[in-house]
Amino acid sequence: MPLFKDLKKVVIFGSGPIVIGQACEFDYSGTQACKALMKEGLEVILINSNPATIMTDPEIATRVYIEPLKKMFVKKILEKERPDAVIPTLGGQTALNLALELYECGILEGLGIELLGAKPDVIQKAEDREKFCRVLDSVGAKYPNSKMVRTFEQGLEAADQLGFPLILRPNYTLGGGGGGVAYSLEEYKIKIASGLHESPTNEVLVEESILGWKEFELEVMRDSAGTFVVVCSIENFDPCGVHTGDSITVAPQQTLTDEQYQLMRDEAQKIINAVGVETGGANIQFAVNPENGERVVIEMNPRVSRSSALASKATGFPIAKIAALLAVGYTLEEIENDITKSTPACFEPALDYVVTKVPRFAFEKFSGVKDILTTQMKSVGEAMGIGRTFKESLQKALISLENSDIPFPIIEWKEENLTYPNSLRIRYIYQALRDGVSVSELYKKTKVTPWFLEQMNDLVTFEKEFTKSDFKKFPLLRAKKLGFSDATLATWFSKDEQEVREERWRQNVRPRYFQVDTCAAEFASETPYFYSTYWAKPKQFENQKSLVVLLGSGPNRIGQGIEFDYSCVRSVSQFQKEGYKVAMINSNPETVSTDYDTSDLLFFEPLNAESVLEVLKYVNPEGFVAQLGGQTPINLVPQLINNGYNLLGSSKESIDLAEDRGQFIKICKELNFKIPNSDMAFDVHHAKEIARKVDFPIICRPSYVLGGRRMEIIENEDELISYFDRHASFIDKQNPCLMDQFLDRALEVDVDLVRGKDWTIIGGVIEHIEKAGVHSGDSMGVLPPQRLKPETLKTIEDLSVQLADRMNIYGFLNLQLAVRDDEVFMLEANPRSSRSVPFIAKATGVPLVDLGVQGMLKRSKNQLIKYPLDWKQMPFVCVKGVVFPFKKFQEADSILGPEMKSTGESMGRGKSYSEALFKAYVSSQCSIPNEGEVFLSLRDKDKDELIEVAQELIEMGYSLSATQGTSTILKEKGLPCLTVRKVTEGRPHCVDRIRSGKVALVINTTSGKVSIDASFSIRRSCIEYSVPCLTEADAARSFVLAMKHHRSRDFDTYSL
Amino acid sequence: MNGFLVLETGESFEGNFLGSKTSAEFTADTPVGEVVFNTSHSGYEEMATDPSYFNQILVTTAPMQGNYGIDDSFWESKQIWIKGFVCLEIQKSKRDSTWLRRLNDNNIPVLEELDTRSLVFQLREAGTTWGAMILAKNAEEAKGKAFKLIQEKKKVQKDWPFLVTTKEVYDLKGSEKNGLKIAVLDFGAKQNIMRELMLRVEHLRVFPSRTSVEEIKKWNPHGIMLSNGPGDPEEVLEATENIKDLIGWKPIFGICMGHQILARALGGHTYKLKFGHRGSNHPIKDLILNKIYMTSQNHGYAVDPKSLPSSVDITHFNLNDGTVAGIRDSKNKCFSVQFHPESRPGPHDAAILFDEFIKQVR
Repeated sequence: MPLFKDLKKVVIFGSGPIVIGQACEFDYSGTQACKALMKEGLEVILINSNPATIMTDPEIATRVYIEPLKKMFVKKILEKERPDAVIPTLGGQTALNLALELYECGILEGLGIELLGAKPDVIQKAEDREKFCRVLDSVGAKYPNSKMVRTFEQGLEAADQLGFPLILRPNYTLGGGGGGVAYSLEEYKIKIASGLHESPTNEVLVEESILGWKEFELEVMRDSAGTFVVVCSIENFDPCGVHTGDSITVAPQQTLTDEQYQLMRDEAQKIINAVGVETGGANIQFAVNPENGERVVIEMNPRVSRSSALASKATGFPIAKIAALLAVGYTLEEIENDITKSTPACFEPALDYVVTKVPRFAFEKFSGVKDILTTQMKSVGEAMGIGRTFKESLQKALISLENSDIPFPIIEWKEENLTYPNSLRIRYIYQALRDGVSVSELYKKTKVTPWFLEQMNDLVTFEKEFTKSDFKKFPLLRAKKLGFSDATLATWFSKDEQEVREERWRQNVRPRYFQVDTCAAEFASETPYFYSTYWAKPKQFENQKSLVVLLGSGPNRIGQGIEFDYSCVRSVSQFQKEGYKVAMINSNPETVSTDYDTSDLLFFEPLNAESVLEVLKYVNPEGFVAQLGGQTPINLVPQLINNGYNLLGSSKESIDLAEDRGQFIKICKELNFKIPNSDMAFDVHHAKEIARKVDFPIICRPSYVLGGRRMEIIENEDELISYFDRHASFIDKQNPCLMDQFLDRALEVDVDLVRGKDWTIIGGVIEHIEKAGVHSGDSMGVLPPQRLKPETLKTIEDLSVQLADRMNIYGFLNLQLAVRDDEVFMLEANPRSSRSVPFIAKATGVPLVDLGVQGMLKRSKNQLIKYPLDWKQMPFVCVKGVVFPFKKFQEADSILGPEMKSTGESMGRGKSYSEALFKAYVSSQCSIPNEGEVFLSLRDKDKDELIEVAQELIEMGYSLSATQGTSTILKEKGLPCLTVRKVTEGRPHCVDRIRSGKVALVINTTSGKVSIDASFSIRRSCIEYSVPCLTEADAARSFVLAMKHHRSRDFDTYSL
Repeated sequence: MNGFLVLETGESFEGNFLGSKTSAEFTADTPVGEVVFNTSHSGYEEMATDPSYFNQILVTTAPMQGNYGIDDSFWESKQIWIKGFVCLEIQKSKRDSTWLRRLNDNNIPVLEELDTRSLVFQLREAGTTWGAMILAKNAEEAKGKAFKLIQEKKKVQKDWPFLVTTKEVYDLKGSEKNGLKIAVLDFGAKQNIMRELMLRVEHLRVFPSRTSVEEIKKWNPHGIMLSNGPGDPEEVLEATENIKDLIGWKPIFGICMGHQILARALGGHTYKLKFGHRGSNHPIKDLILNKIYMTSQNHGYAVDPKSLPSSVDITHFNLNDGTVAGIRDSKNKCFSVQFHPESRPGPHDAAILFDEFIKQVR
């Protein structure tokens, strides 16, 4: 059936801010769907609160609403837009839950809106464990024994019946949120309590353990005519017990016999039919007992998912696009295979390569958190490697993580590193093989399917045969076929990486670029989506004129995520308008940039010097672009330039002026900018000396770290000594500790500007809501600034332009400045597009990325695109909200500091600051309490300031509680306040009070390591019990403003 | 050892040769055959034992082969039929039993570490061709040896089903106690056709490909199954003539070669496809069941739709290239499909066609 005739206008929900378990894969799927539906001539209305996405670019849909994905807001939009239908299957669990909620309270029916792609009863049948088990029974599929638990007591009963270990799966949560594995009753009691709390329906499925079973996933599609295809089969390297998002996975499946695979396929088909998925994509996870082949179903998602993104990139089959077209009436037969352009979409891709996905973790960001993997997802990103063999693809994938160009460095291991899954387990396994542990022994310890271990052992065997052999006689081609990096080989022969590379080039050992074509070369295919392999002779590239190579941003990590993909993707069309063709390099399967129709050429490759150089050598471009993909491409610049490639935009010298702290300080002084005092210390004695000059408080950080790692604010000499004690191994003569004066109580701002031949355009100035001391990625921000005086703003803009001129920037420059007592300090410069670029572009309407491209290409003023270019004319106030992953990491502290910990951001747009704030908080998964008790625990320097806030809270009808010190002051000011015990004063104490549900909001400001440690349990209990907790005075003030707005109920929704 | 796959068209592809024979023994019995590629991800053992691969060198596009070992129950006949096995990488780790060892024990050599994707490009662009797997120091030497060998081997007898069919008639007992008798004309039948039938009827009798009409009629089956098989249907003259006499007598169901022979017996023609269809992902539009499903395919020839008489309906299409994938002569209760409803390897979606056949027979 073609497009439904009566369908004119559809609404698509995005998935909101990036969180663990729901990342930019939904930007990819939503963007693809919007584009496909727009092409069909439909009016497409997009709702998403995440401004960092491509999908919220005004061009992607007919109208874009950057508004909270919450019932009260979405209802308003639906009333305004009166669409014919909503497609809820493209925005992850968030969209699905939202659609279900809108349905259940009758809003959809009331407005005559249809749900396309997934009917409510289908969503329930797949998502509600009990209903799902009935479906499985009806088709004769097996599943692990389990009990649905609704109370703590039922939980204890279930554990008694099923025995340990047990797997907990809360209903309707994403990324296994609130779930986990419990090995003992003690552990179980804690997890069942939090699981019940996490589930929106207060239900947890307690399941017998299938730990150690082989895990598989099928990505399937079905259309309204009943045609069923498996787009991709995925096999997990990590056996059951590790969330599939945290597992190393391989596509297609490698170790099932054809018969086993076909039976699994049959079962998937029966399940999707029985659940009633009429059209669209779904995934079904299976576990297979390695002892006897017994198969059970783990779960099913009746929607496009993280693994659909992976499957799309792995096969070339655009699942989201096709799901969208199926939802609006088409059948698979009617849709063309985009890649071959000659065959229909109703087929199953055949792969003649192997794809490996590896997760990227951020345990180092959360001190005290144990690196152990369970059924609750903890990874923050992923990379994918494509190779002709598993060995080649595995090594490429591991290199793509950008932790090291050596996938398997020599490391020490202990038994527990093998038996307990962890983020480095594959390295420990490799090392164990290196140390002579046999495959069968390792299988016993890890339960990793022996085939994978054999593959790794092949690598070890080769390594042992040839390390320390004669490099001249070394079989380079064989090593490259196995996926060994130049960097690895360099260590074997104690050579420089570039030396290995040059020898390799001399021998013409170069990769071949093969196409991802969905059909194993059976049909001719035009789509320029490539991966490299050493399993074929290199071939000449058909030269293309005006080609630029664009370096992407690699796997998502805290500090470098979707915002950079936005810049990359957005830039492509501008390059094309300027007459260039764009070749994209990236390794992140979740992104829009790795969609085959985003750029002219796509190379799915690691973003390291070796792979990028090979691509450059292959396509011989006019130049490469390093300003858009964050820090990853910037770090590659020296090596690429040294190999003779042309950097577009700002020169390497300009970049160095920003990246090299010494040079940066020099030019700031030269321009008479105020900068914080600073110096470098080699050891603690030296540091004490410096402290006298720089003056406390001081920000300390080891010199070479990025993203604020190990950065701390030091208030006094004792803390300074402690800091050097704790970080001694990162500081020495070569890597001194940077010590900067900390501008206490200063206001921080972010500036993004673009500069061309004879022009500079400021994109916007974001004022941080929190005072200095919170990493700019973690602080909330507002545009336009609310507290800066106009003349200060003018100074900021002037200084920014001066600096850009002095640095001779072509393209982007991001600056951080601080303002204290009307004095402006220059803090930091990044010679590239930044995290705030998409936020600014969407808030102000200034097409910052397009202009940045023009700047990079050194266009002059009269060549500029004509848009409204004055950011100050923005019609709305926009507030950036921030989302943190603390819930996923037990033992993690939620206090904000100079080290970035957030995973995502939201945008609140409003007519007033308070409306924007309110929306930003709502979008950042904060529940805004309407009544109840506010618990305050304040550091001395905030007490005076926050009295005012406390006063307001009382006036708004909230009650106050506080520990002795704060309570006394409040009472002195005449504010009624309940005094509660500190944790050290015995029970019941303040944490008990939070846990008992009596507290609706916590304001807890603190500083200094001792006090931070002492108040940890307050913040932790807030996380576990979803009580909003503010850890900074200005943040608290802004939250109270948002609460006020919430009570006024005065808000509207606005399209871009 | 250095080995080469030399194509009749002149191209050669280098690989790592793995065989059990010494090089002298090997030269005497060089594997020569039609070079065909299959895009299935799994099922190497099923493919290699499928008689339809008679006189063929099998190239798998799935790069890693032998991963899950071997199993006697996967055999589709009593022997391995392929002349040689070509892939990118075959499992070589130490195990008690491996696919590599099983191939070598059956005197089937393997060429691995060969750039199979470029080979497939070649076959796709220039069409299926013959080739030889040659042990040699370099390509020139390999080519020198190959061409004569290929010409010699190509001269062999052309009725391939006759070369692979059962020599004796034999009976099989089905699990259904319904009294139904099905005659299977064996053109190189896969075991799973028998297994699927045995699930549905009581008696099966398997006849050699050139069995006379009288002999079949004497057994008086309720229906006739024309099996799959290797080679060019145009060369299968005797069987085609026989089937002309069976059409209309009892319901007939043909698979693959059986489909082509039925089409020819009904008056149609067949032609050689450029590079055939071999894989587990071929979409079929079935007008009888009004469904689209994925099928297992393995054929080099197809039925020419224009050649069919008006009494014959085209009931199945291959959606990739629009070729005929099934026909029906309703009046005479005959139908046949170009693909493999018995799968092995491949999806089970079309197994329902065996039920259709039984409906006709009843």
